[in-house]
Amino acid sequence: MIEAIAMPSAAMLSEYLICVLISGLGIAILWMVFTGTIDLSRLITEANGDASMARFQFLVFTFVISLSLFVVIVSPKDGPKLPETIPGGILTLLGISGSSYAVGKAIQFSDPASLEERPVTVTITPAKPIVRYKETQQFHAEVTRKPDAKVHWAVIAGSGTIDEDTGLYKAPDAPATPPAPHATIQATCVDYPEASDIAVVTLT
Amino acid sequence: MPDITAIITSEVEIFLLALFGIIAMQLLTGEISTKNLLYGRKNDTGEPIVQAGVVKGRKRDDTLYFSPERVQLLIFTLGAAFYYLTQVLNNPNPGTFPPLPQSWPAVIGGSNAVFLGGKAYSRIWKRNGGLK
Repeated sequence: MIEAIAMPSAAMLSEYLICVLISGLGIAILWMVFTGTIDLSRLITEANGDASMARFQFLVFTFVISLSLFVVIVSPKDGPKLPETIPGGILTLLGISGSSYAVGKAIQFSDPASLEERPVTVTITPAKPIVRYKETQQFHAEVTRKPDAKVHWAVIAGSGTIDEDTGLYKAPDAPATPPAPHATIQATCVDYPEASDIAVVTLT
Repeated sequence: MPDITAIITSEVEIFLLALFGIIAMQLLTGEISTKNLLYGRKNDTGEPIVQAGVVKGRKRDDTLYFSPERVQLLIFTLGAAFYYLTQVLNNPNPGTFPPLPQSWPAVIGGSNAVFLGGKAYSRIWKRNGGLK
């Protein structure tokens, strides 16, 4: 006697196929977010480069509501099902968050300056150090909106030398003749040459 | 064959947690910019620029200021989010959303109103030179 082997139906195969496709899509999205192909660096940033509290609130509430919805759907003991009602309070909270974002935008649009993208700027620290002859001073440059941008260092006036890549300044061994007790250091963003800053070293 | 419902549940769970995990990590490491999240901008001091006795415009300031209204909104937002998540995870009635305390919409709404008031004050009221 030959036993009948339970073969999966076409419908069941379709379900598994859809399941695999959704998994693939999910993995692809996660991978692209993780590697930066989907760039989220300005997820909560306004056009002017500043992070927005209203966008951040929207993000947090979206997290909470989506996680809550997932938990609510899968938690019934007799299998997943959609909730019959959504409390008005939750919808009200989302409405408040959305309205706040919209009103914030309206306030912002009332001033064109807040819609303009701010230029890249370079800021050197320390700005006015006092350095002894023969000693060194490490400078740092912060580049707004481009924290990984390469900076070129140079001594544009006065004495001493500086490593053009690292910003390590070395004071001269002795005072120059005639005396020049100051040196001016300039840091320039390589990708945005118009963005630069200067620091003034006082030699003692 | 494995239960398709269990597979989909696991898929969605892993996807949501991974996505939120990546975003949270990027927020903490600065890959997602949070620059000036707690700062506002004063777009104008409102002081007049007078040339030859004529007001030609008003001085722009555009400086950052530490913004308490953003701090309070951050605290209320994170507090509400964590509280509600714990309510959902400890819900005695599976399959339903736990109810929100009735005062919450008022509290969150008030917090947002304070935030918007501060924003409007720095951007509009100051730009127009304040009360005359």
